[in-house]
Amino acid sequence: MMHRQADTPRDPRSIDRPDPVLIRYYLITSLLTGPVFPFVFLPLYIRYKTLRYRFDDEGVWMAWGLFFRRQINLSYRRIQDIHVTQSLIQRWLGIATVSIQTAAGSAAPEMSIEGILDPESLRDFLYARMRGARSEDGHTEPTSDPILQLLIEIRDGIAVLNERVRALEEAGR
Amino acid sequence: MSRTAGKAAAWVYRGLWGVLVELLKVPDQPPNTPPGSGDVRSLKPSPGFLRYLKFWFWLWLVVFDLAIIGAWVALLIWIPWLGLALAPLAWGVAIIPDIIAYVAIHVRWDTTWYVITDRAVRIRRGVWIIRESTITFENIQNVEVRQGPLQRYFKIADVHIQTAGGGTSPDATANTQAHHGLLQGIADAHELRELIMSRAALSKTAGLGDEATPAGLSSAHRRVLEEIRDLLVPAA
Repeated sequence: MMHRQADTPRDPRSIDRPDPVLIRYYLITSLLTGPVFPFVFLPLYIRYKTLRYRFDDEGVWMAWGLFFRRQINLSYRRIQDIHVTQSLIQRWLGIATVSIQTAAGSAAPEMSIEGILDPESLRDFLYARMRGARSEDGHTEPTSDPILQLLIEIRDGIAVLNERVRALEEAGR
Repeated sequence: MSRTAGKAAAWVYRGLWGVLVELLKVPDQPPNTPPGSGDVRSLKPSPGFLRYLKFWFWLWLVVFDLAIIGAWVALLIWIPWLGLALAPLAWGVAIIPDIIAYVAIHVRWDTTWYVITDRAVRIRRGVWIIRESTITFENIQNVEVRQGPLQRYFKIADVHIQTAGGGTSPDATANTQAHHGLLQGIADAHELRELIMSRAALSKTAGLGDEATPAGLSSAHRRVLEEIRDLLVPAA
């Protein structure tokens, strides 16, 4: 019974594969099914071996499968709910499943990111980028928006102009 | 006497919690929120919810235990030796699940957390499987308050939160289902509903992925435009 604790919060962008502990979790859960163990374990093993994640600036990409391959793309801005699920065995192994839901009409989560060592940092990473995550606090002005960038330049330009006008008025007085 | 018993029960319960935290890795803290979440409210189901669960517990206890013990007494009269032989089994079946259920009610109450920040609702519950879901106000479509007669007696209500997408029936009682958040056993459900609705109303969008305001500009644009106006006004 081991419990892995992620001491330093990992940058979720560096996650590209499930943690190797996931295969142990798959092994335990498939052993619990008893006699049908090989039939349960083999697909899970293939899934573990082929599972890939990518967290880029716009969204999440996830792919798995050997014979039948599946890829899911999902942009952060469309995320509606974030679920973090940890069963007892997962807690013992120190991993979690982070599920993401969009407004698509399915009951099952659109994306289940399995084998995550530090679910809290991934959750907060997604939380900071999901819908409704606008920075309203005026200190951090995102410059990715060209129109906003233009407006900020105009504002700063006017501020400089104001300074010059004031200086001229001072000089003329 | 009952106070001593209560103290002993509390002591045993704390010991049990130690086991839960150490062995089952059940967190005993409310779920954390990202820094800068503004006004954070950490809620638990009301004590009325505990009483409500216990009411159901006692109801089922009386029904089941009367049936089991009644059957056992009948057997004892009918075939005394068999009744005596089955005594430990009958009483065990009658009593042990009750203790487990009673403790489970307390553990369930203690492991249920609702955290409300200025951006989102976070719900966490569970012992074997811990489920935590985060729903932002931006995405909330509607809030529903439900109260049955018994819940009205205990002055509690369930608050259901729905986001777009559907996929599950709103009758489902699981706490963290798709597009659905359930805050069970809330004492002042109407106040909570008003809080959620007022925070959801702060968002100008319909919660369906439409990020911009009708003019195509976000609040950040508007803020910079206002700053430009303020810069121009003294110069004019």
